[in-house]
This record gives sequence, C-alpha cells and structure tokens, in this order.
Amino acid sequence: MKKKLLSLLSAVVILAACNSSTQSDVTQELQIPDSVKNGKPLQISEEVMDNMIQNISSPVEIASLIRSTGMPFSQKYICKPDDIKKYDSNFKRAVGLGILGADLGYLNMYNKTGSVLSNLSTIKSVADELKIGQFFDFSTLKRLSVNNENLDSLIFISTQSFNNMDSYLRENDRTSISALIVTGLWLEGLYIATQVVKENKHKDLAERVGDQKLIINDLLIILKNYKSDPNFASLIADIELIKVKYNDIKITYTKGEPEAIEKDGMLVIVQNEISNVEMTDQQLNDIISITESTRAKLISL
Amino acid sequence: MKALNIIIIIIFTIISNFSFSQCNDQLVNVCALDNNGATYIKDFKVKLKKAKKKESAPVAKYQVALSKNTNYRFNSCNATEFAGEAIIQLFDYEQMLGSTYNMSTGKNYKGFDFYCKKSGVYNVYISFKDGEEGCAVGILSFVGKEY
Repeated sequence: MKKKLLSLLSAVVILAACNSSTQSDVTQELQIPDSVKNGKPLQISEEVMDNMIQNISSPVEIASLIRSTGMPFSQKYICKPDDIKKYDSNFKRAVGLGILGADLGYLNMYNKTGSVLSNLSTIKSVADELKIGQFFDFSTLKRLSVNNENLDSLIFISTQSFNNMDSYLRENDRTSISALIVTGLWLEGLYIATQVVKENKHKDLAERVGDQKLIINDLLIILKNYKSDPNFASLIADIELIKVKYNDIKITYTKGEPEAIEKDGMLVIVQNEISNVEMTDQQLNDIISITESTRAKLISL
Repeated sequence: MKALNIIIIIIFTIISNFSFSQCNDQLVNVCALDNNGATYIKDFKVKLKKAKKKESAPVAKYQVALSKNTNYRFNSCNATEFAGEAIIQLFDYEQMLGSTYNMSTGKNYKGFDFYCKKSGVYNVYISFKDGEEGCAVGILSFVGKEY
C-alpha cells in the first residue's frame, strides 16, 4: 500500500512539475518592451481599450470580401517579409507584425502556400523578438500550409494564434504592443482593400472602405494613450491625416426590425436596419492616395 | 493517513485544473472546426458561477465589429464538466437582434446565423440557461456574403 502511495505521489509530483515548468517559461517572457512603455496611466480604462481593440475588423473578412469580388491575387498588394525582418525596434516590429497578419489573411484566402510559408517564418521571427513567439506553433502551421486540404485549419490556427497573442498582451500590461499590431493590421487591410478598389470599383468593397470611418476614431483613441512616446505621436499624426479624408463621408441608417427564420434547421436572423455610406469618387480616391502614402511611410520605417 | 489526505488534495487540485482547461483552447479547437465550413474569426471563453437565489443569471459581455452584407455565425460549445448550457444573445445597443434561446418554445439552438445589413459595433452576451454554473466557448465565424 505504501509503495502504491509513493508511486502515486511521484506521478502527481511529476505532473505538477511539468505544469509549473510551462508556467515558468511563459513568465520569463513577461518583459514589457521599454521602447513603447511610457509608464503613465491610461486615459481610458483597460476594459474600454480591450473592447476597442477587439472591434478592429478581422483580416480574414476583408480578404474574403476581396476574393468575392473576383479580383485575382496580386503579390504587389502585400509587403516583402524581408523588409519587416530588418526592423530594429519593438515599435517597428509590432506594427510590422500587424502588417504581416493582414497579408497572411490575404495569402491564406487565395491559398498561396509558398508565400504563406515565407510570411509565417517572418511572423515567427518578429514575434520571437517581441517575446510572443510562443503563440505561433510554426511547425504545425508549416505542415498545414504545405497541405492544401487543411486550408480551414491553417486559417483557424493562424487567426487563433493572433487572437491569443493579442489577449496575452492586453492581459499582461503590454497593451501598447497590441495597439501597434492592431494599427498595422488595420492599415494593411485598408491598403489591400483600397488597392483592389483602385482597379475595380466594386460597390461592397468601396463601401467597406467607407465603413472604416466607424473604426478610425477608436483606433486614434487607443493610440493617443501613448502619445507621449515620439514614435506613437508620429503614427497618430499619420492616422489623423487619413481621418481628415473621412470627415465628409456620411453614414446614414434606414430603420427596420430584425426577423428570425429557420433555414435547413438553422436559426437565421436577418437584420433589416441598413447602413449606407455616402461617399463620392473623389473622396474614395483621396482615401486611396492617403492610405498608399501612409502605408509606404510605415513599411519604410 | 496524513500523506493520503495530501495526495487526495493534490489529485483533486490537478483534476480541477484539467477540467477547467477543457473549456479553453481545447474546446475552441473542437467548436471552431465543427462549424459547417464557416471561417473562424474569434472566440469568447466564458466561465460563470451559478446564479444566486433571486438574482438574475450572470452574464459575460463582449463587443464585435460586424460589416454590412455579411453573413456571420454565432455558435457555442459547452464544457461537459458543467451543467450550464450557453445562451448567446446579440444586441445592437439596447435592442436584442437574436438569441440562441427561444423563450416561447424553450428551445436553445447551438447557434444562429446573423445576416448583417448595418456595419457597426455590436454587443454579444453569453449566459447559462437557468443560471446554472457553466463553462463554454462562443465562436464568431464568417459564413459569406449571402444567406
């Protein structure tokens, strides 16, 4: 009996030790990069920040919308991963990680396996520099990307890796890094969308570009929490320039009550309140131009 | 005897930890990939205590940005270790747009599709039926442009 108890205790201790060693590895990476940490209290609560950050559109959605326009894939819309690999500060790396995340969504949606691998490899190396590489299981992602049948899993795991990394950053007092990643993600998504719209004035996609008026204010509120940092101040000024181009765009609403229907055993809710973006061609062209120049400045950091 | 008590406590703690982990990423993986081809966007991990007597059921609140002319899917999966069955409700400010739970029939759907016609920020509330203690994940997925 004693022998059995001892064996059981040993097993329990080993299990507990395994568990604690994992936690300790993660804890060692809880270093707040000094280049973006200003040490001052946030002007808005963490909860509000969390909600705002979560409200930035998913790159998967934008990429899927772009694919639905019938426009072919174009390598020229996305950045060269090697350019981002050269970034030498955490500020640049965080923005670059967001840019790569948006490009990954676009590449995944068009099933561009070769480019996905190169993009993922850079994501892993940039994330490692930021001490958040633990969220990217590169070997699994690589395996999935070379097997086209697993596209759903690849999109799922890469999106989830970004989501988990973002949650981790916000839960561990590194919201500034999260804000920069989200900014890169948002700007690159807008850039790809505007480049496609430039070649094909697809109505839904143009409207999605106009919809960003709803997001840009939140993005600026998030960034302004860190405005005492010169890098952030410069980024805020760039995003403000984009915001100016959105000022005269109107979003109106047509009232309507939602209806619930059952379709093939599935509950479907159809919203009947409709938003309408009122945007002239000139306004759209102005947004395309300012997005191009801002993104060019950002990737040449 | 003392050693036995310690072992029981340690085992109980470990089992509790393992149970808790069941309603995190592991459950997200199962729930997100069993979704009839919809593309995962984000997840909401929820663990709520049983409602106190004469009090309403605890609710977890999240925000999501949804885009016009897009069909989204909200679905949930419950951790088997808990009695609670998740209810997902979608709100536009104060107005409830949809819920997995049909109050008139008592039926709780696993999820629902939401065809969005108004771009904006929406509130997602997740609670557990009858205020039971529960642990679940909610998944928001992208279905497509049509419904």
